[in-house]
Amino acid sequence: MLRLLATSIEMQVSAAISLRGVSAGYGAPVLGGIDLEVAEAEIVAVVGRSGTGKTTLLRLIAGLLEPSSGAVRLLGERPEVARHRKRIGFVAQDARLHPWRTVRENVTLALEVNRSARTDGHAGPDEWVARMGLTDASGAYPHQLSGGMRQRVALARSLVIDPEVLLMDEPLASLDELTREDLRDELLRVWEGKARSVVYVTHDIEEAVLLADRVVVIGGRRPARVTGEVRVPLGRPRARALRRDARFHDLVEAVRSLLA
Amino acid sequence: MTGRRTLVDLAAAFAAVAGIAVILEIWTRSLQVPSYLLPAPSAVIARMATDAGLLAREGSITLAEAAGGFVLGTGVAFLLAAVMAWSRPFERTLFPIAILVKLTPIVAVAPLFTLWFGFGTAPKVAIAALITFFPMLVNSFVGLRSADLQEVAFLQTLGASSREIFRHLRVPSALPYLFSGARISLNLALIGAVIGEWTGADRGLGRVIFVANANLDLTALFGAVLVLASIGVAANALVGAAERRVLHWHPIAVAT
Repeated sequence: MLRLLATSIEMQVSAAISLRGVSAGYGAPVLGGIDLEVAEAEIVAVVGRSGTGKTTLLRLIAGLLEPSSGAVRLLGERPEVARHRKRIGFVAQDARLHPWRTVRENVTLALEVNRSARTDGHAGPDEWVARMGLTDASGAYPHQLSGGMRQRVALARSLVIDPEVLLMDEPLASLDELTREDLRDELLRVWEGKARSVVYVTHDIEEAVLLADRVVVIGGRRPARVTGEVRVPLGRPRARALRRDARFHDLVEAVRSLLA
Repeated sequence: MTGRRTLVDLAAAFAAVAGIAVILEIWTRSLQVPSYLLPAPSAVIARMATDAGLLAREGSITLAEAAGGFVLGTGVAFLLAAVMAWSRPFERTLFPIAILVKLTPIVAVAPLFTLWFGFGTAPKVAIAALITFFPMLVNSFVGLRSADLQEVAFLQTLGASSREIFRHLRVPSALPYLFSGARISLNLALIGAVIGEWTGADRGLGRVIFVANANLDLTALFGAVLVLASIGVAANALVGAAERRVLHWHPIAVAT
């Protein structure tokens, strides 16, 4: 009993995110017995086939879905509590944004609703708009933007609160290959500029290996569980040239074999 | 560019109405249709000019009744829709009542309102409110529920309260629906006011129509109907203008 308590305390201190034996679903179970820990400043990519429950996993971490069993901790607290007291960013696959707000207003929205957001000593909305290459579009409305630009806004509005944890649900999946490569570079630059805990869901294996410190594979028959993981011991800063590296290919193959 | 298109549209609409008037004029004159069946448009217009004061006075009363009913009916509808969008139990209890209100023929209960509230403005406002209530309720409810789920998730993850999500996301998402509800409800409000006046009133365009009909004075009747129609068109145009202004961010509003 005491040992159990000790491990649980240790778990809360060391991990930014932890899931212990978590099962969840919408009526029918989608995820079963998930164990996952994300250390502080660690970037974890979650890969799996479509429909395995990757989005469900993110919803659990964000506290948007109650687990049917097991425990989820986000920065040491229950997610429903943590999201009111901490800074959690969420980037969806195809962000619709708030269509009645301009690009800049969409970015400032996050600062309006997040109570612990602060801009002092940290980049403000205008700087994030600039970093995402949106300065010329800062007065434009979402329907006037391309898909790639909208995703840039989605990134800017999540990064402007200086998130302690960043949850990303296939943020680049609906973009064309060239835009995707640009934004991957952008993400690497942002993360390598300031370390944060990231859970990055994707079905793109190469993207997972390029971006993450660790790739977690979920799959199997429903309910899905963690079927394996691959550490990515590649140095940072990383760049897209890494894709020509032999080690990169070995890692991609390792993840692929876990998915098969 | 849009200003020029609006002008062209207006000119086309005006030409269509003028064309119909010319055909009616020729028809009534050549066949010598008696004015108690179908008055010539020129006679109607001449009558409207002599009755201008009366039409303006009675028209403004009907307009005030319709506007009062519109504000009351759509206001209550929006509040109820907000409550229903907020909680499922409220939705389950309130929606059947709303449907009951909708299915009750207004014409059947209108005399009752006159009995309860007398011959003044109150029963007309009540009928107009009742008739505008349901379309606005449904539109508001669907609108408030139409908020993008990914955006809801984004705000929740940021720690936004339900009230903030309501204010920042649900209400603006509902705006296009509110406007289409307002368009339907505005014209219904006018109908409600006129029905109210038919069932017992001493003022209003409905009363003018009622009396003119009893006297087979179709020239006066058509004049009053034309004024009613103009009020409807003007109200619609007003909502349209407000819609384009408020929904300037909306791709559909921009396209039309």
